[in-house]
Amino acid sequence: MDSGPSSVGGTNIEGESPQVEPTVETDDATITDDAELERTLGLTGGLAIGIGTMIGAGIFVFPGLAAGRAGPAAAASFGIGAVVALLVALPTAELATAMPKSGGGYYFISRGLGALAGAVVGLSLWFGLVFATAFYLVGFGYYAVDTLAEVGIAVGDGLVIPLALLFGAGFTVLNVTGTENAAKLQNGIVVLLLSILVFFLGYGGLDAVGLIGDSAAPERFAPFGTMPVLTTAALVFTSYLGFAQIATVAGEMKDPGRNLPLSIVGSVLVVGLLYVVTIFVATSAFGADQLSEFGETAMVDVGRHYLGPIGAFAIVFGGLLATMSSANASVLSTSRAIYAVSRDALLPRRASRINLRYGTPHVALGLAGGPILVLVATGRVELLAEVASFLHLIMYGLICVALLALRRDEPAWYDPDFRVPGYPAVPAIGAVASFALIGFMQPVSQLTGIAIMVAAAGWYAYYARDVTLKGAL
Amino acid sequence: MTRVLVPLAILEGESVSAGLTTLLAPLDVTVLGYHVLPEQTPPDQARLQYEERATDALVDLTAEFEAAGGRADHRLVFTHDREQTIDRVAAETGADAYAITGVTGPIDRLLVSLTGDVAVDRLCSFAAELVGDREIGVTLFLATDDESGGRESLEAAARSLSERGIDVETELAGDQPALEALVEAAIGHDAIVMGERAPSLRSLVFGEEAEQVAAESVGPVLVVRRVEERDDTVERRD
Repeated sequence: MDSGPSSVGGTNIEGESPQVEPTVETDDATITDDAELERTLGLTGGLAIGIGTMIGAGIFVFPGLAAGRAGPAAAASFGIGAVVALLVALPTAELATAMPKSGGGYYFISRGLGALAGAVVGLSLWFGLVFATAFYLVGFGYYAVDTLAEVGIAVGDGLVIPLALLFGAGFTVLNVTGTENAAKLQNGIVVLLLSILVFFLGYGGLDAVGLIGDSAAPERFAPFGTMPVLTTAALVFTSYLGFAQIATVAGEMKDPGRNLPLSIVGSVLVVGLLYVVTIFVATSAFGADQLSEFGETAMVDVGRHYLGPIGAFAIVFGGLLATMSSANASVLSTSRAIYAVSRDALLPRRASRINLRYGTPHVALGLAGGPILVLVATGRVELLAEVASFLHLIMYGLICVALLALRRDEPAWYDPDFRVPGYPAVPAIGAVASFALIGFMQPVSQLTGIAIMVAAAGWYAYYARDVTLKGAL
Repeated sequence: MTRVLVPLAILEGESVSAGLTTLLAPLDVTVLGYHVLPEQTPPDQARLQYEERATDALVDLTAEFEAAGGRADHRLVFTHDREQTIDRVAAETGADAYAITGVTGPIDRLLVSLTGDVAVDRLCSFAAELVGDREIGVTLFLATDDESGGRESLEAAARSLSERGIDVETELAGDQPALEALVEAAIGHDAIVMGERAPSLRSLVFGEEAEQVAAESVGPVLVVRRVEERDDTVERRD
């Protein structure tokens, strides 16, 4: 069914060509000529990947940083992020149901817009995920130090980076050698986190609106004006980088026509709501200035403010789990992104080799883990977050453009189960909003992002300029 | 026609012993080669690397079944979840039973356990079709607390099999846990036929009963699948 006309072909400089075979997609499996690929992830699995990736950053790392920049209006920054994410999530969901394959955004763009755009996005996505993972790991380092402080071992912030490096290396090794099914653990962690948060935010929310406890002194909503609200939105957009990761496992999702849109859109709605409420509760507990002084782990003090030592402990524990689950989910997405690119001959085929002993893609995991550790060592939280957002936003914008291109002249194979409501306005605004958000970033982040994209384009020109992918399913 | 699914971890060198190939000759066989991947690995990535090797092995195995006089085909699945794959392929091929391969030589005597959730009729007709007109004896086994009722249903089942010219014995176990009694009764038999059990707390904790029996008895175990209520009528028609 999915074997429409395609212009796939060409070889890279090593003589490898894209591995594309006609397949039949059913709700339970992908059927190729000689083999079947079982779909084993359900709706909960998809939601756990999306929420598990996103929730670590927005709630446990950003509140202090964002409040320092935008004041209580940081809640609006998160709101803007949620709207942009939703505008991209809807087109992503449509494309994912039309092309339920490994690779996610890279796959849609290479098939919709061609190999050059695909290569730039695919390789940038690799680095985007690497930056995001490094950011989560640094966040994890802060929580690890705070956890030690809570149990009475004060080590100071000097250990943040060493701890982050240690765990980053640990995750990579575990992912190469571990064959136990960690998916169930991830689901459990997400459920536990959501319970902690809902309880804490429910209590804090009631307090903040003055129903219980003392009413806090009102503060000006946007003390620094509108511009910081927008630049903060660009910074905290890193908190929304998980929904497209669901599309990287689209090939393994059961009943993709139903579960992909539900988990992609659902996870954005869930975390968006939680973020806005979190910032509201946090800025109600302390003034924005004080919150900013607490830095990366400001939420621990918010927890202490509302629920005493138990609250502080719950948040520290939640922060550890959340940053860990974000980092782990991103490492897995990175290796899938590398695989998708290497299958299409844009990277050497060696990159997707599977380890004979463990059955894991050790080369791809190494290509994820190595650069992650280098970036963690820099320890620059805001730069890591913004470059990650930059590279993802480029992809998000192009996903919307790919949708518009495919819809304008629908190929025979294009048959999504889910169609974007409000076409063409939603993808058009999604594309504009994604690119516009980039404009509010710090120049150094923008330059780093552009340099990575130029390098990716250069690699394509050198390594694989004869490869064509447009329209090849 | 009765079909048996033979799931094998094909890339881990699992194979079928000659005794089982011969035993299954009168039936249709689908060899299900599967490869379980950790969640870090997309199934498609494993397919690119292993498909050829796995297909070669499956073609050879299928040929062995055909050389023994049976009809066989094969499927190859890359998966994260073995049980889900076996259930799906069993349902798609309409398999009546699946095999846990085990090790055995030529098969002279089968143990057919009537204990459990699968109807006695269904187990008996499966056993009868499996034996056909070959010189293979059958021992019917039932573990129950209700001794007279158990004796009666064993006798009735034995009658229906001996009418088809099969050498039948019966064995009733009472005061012992059913699983241990079955494993004990399996001594002196070359293969076991038993019914699939409905999932229970016990199977969640200790694993499926058939797997435990297979591990204890070493020889092959043929597990006759439960049929859903809805399919029951279809089942009886043929």
